[in-house]
Amino acid sequence: MARSMCWHCQSEVTGEYFCERCVKVQPVSKETDYFTCLGFPRRLTLDPKKLEAKFYELSRTFHPDFYQTKSTAEQTISLSNAAVLNTAYRTLRDPIQRAEYLLALETGSVKDIRTSPPADLFEEILELQDTLEEYRASDHGSDQGHRLRAVLQTEQEALERRKVEMESQLRQLFADWDKLQDTGEATSPAKAERNRILKQMRDLLSHRTYINNIVNDLAATIA
Amino acid sequence: MAYSDKVVDHFNNPRNMGSFKKDEEGVGTGMVGAPECGDVMKLQIKVQNDTIVDAKFKTFGCGSAIASSSLATEWLKGKTIEEAQKIKNTDIVQELNLPPVKIHCSVLAEDAIKAALTDYQQKADTQPIDTK
Repeated sequence: MARSMCWHCQSEVTGEYFCERCVKVQPVSKETDYFTCLGFPRRLTLDPKKLEAKFYELSRTFHPDFYQTKSTAEQTISLSNAAVLNTAYRTLRDPIQRAEYLLALETGSVKDIRTSPPADLFEEILELQDTLEEYRASDHGSDQGHRLRAVLQTEQEALERRKVEMESQLRQLFADWDKLQDTGEATSPAKAERNRILKQMRDLLSHRTYINNIVNDLAATIA
Repeated sequence: MAYSDKVVDHFNNPRNMGSFKKDEEGVGTGMVGAPECGDVMKLQIKVQNDTIVDAKFKTFGCGSAIASSSLATEWLKGKTIEEAQKIKNTDIVQELNLPPVKIHCSVLAEDAIKAALTDYQQKADTQPIDTK
C-alpha cells in the first residue's frame, strides 16, 4: 500500500489498512489495484485457497459489525473498503476475469490494443447463426430438423474443443507472464516478450468470448 | 433500465436484415466485434454512383446492438459516401435513447459503417473504373 497521510491524525501511514499511530481504519486509495488490495503480486497464477483466505481475513477486518461503535467516518470507510474488497475478490477469483483485469492495468485500457477482428471466425459465427435460425424455424421432428440438429451438435462439440485448446494456450501465456515478472528484467527483449504475451492474451481472450457466446447459443437452442 | 420503445421496435422488426454477396460489384462489407461482450456485427452497403442504394446487416448480440445496426442501415440508404462518413455513434445513442452501459453498441455500429465504407473504397480503388 502506498504511503499516505492518515485522515485522522495526519501522520504518515505505512501500514496496510490502519494508521499505526491512531489505529484508525484507512480508505483504500482509488489508485490501488485489486492485486495490491488483496496483497498479491501481479501474477496470473494465483493459489485460489490463499486468495480466499486473504479475502476472508480482510472481510472480517472491514466488517460493519465491528464498526458499530466507531465514528461515522470510520463506518463509511470500512463499508466502502468492504465493497472494493468484494469486487477485487470477484475479479481475481476467476482466471479469465483476472487476465482481463491485468490487461487493463498493463495497457491502460483494453481498447488500446484492440485486435483486428478475426474475419474467419466471424464468417464462421455468422454462418452458424444462419444454420441456427434455420433450425429454429424448422419442424424439429422432421428429417430436416434432425439433420440440422446433427450439424449443430457437431459444430458445438468442435467449438468446445477449440475453447479448451484456447484455455490451455491461455494458461501457457499466464505462466509466461509470471516467469517474465519473476525475472524482472527491463531489457528490450524482455519488453518485446511482454508485448507478445499481452497481445496474444488479448487475442485469445476476445476470441474466446466470441466462441463462448456462440457455444451458449448452440447449447440453449439444441438442448 | 428498460429498453426504449425504439430499441424494442428495431429488435422486433429489424430493418434490412440479410446480406449481399461480398464480391458483388459495389458492395462494401464491414465486420466488427466487441471483444468485451462478444457481439458480432456485419454491415454491408451497396453503392451506385457514389450513393448507397441499399444496406443490409446481420448482428448477433444484445437488443441494443441489433437496434443500432438496424437503424444504421436505415440511415445509410440514400446517403452519399461522404454523408455516410458523418454518421456518429452519438446520433444513434440519441435516436435510440441508449443508456450509458449500452453506448458501446452504438460505437460498434459506427465502426461497422466505417469498415464497410473502407472496404468499398478499397475495392473501388483496385477495380478498374468503368463510369466517371
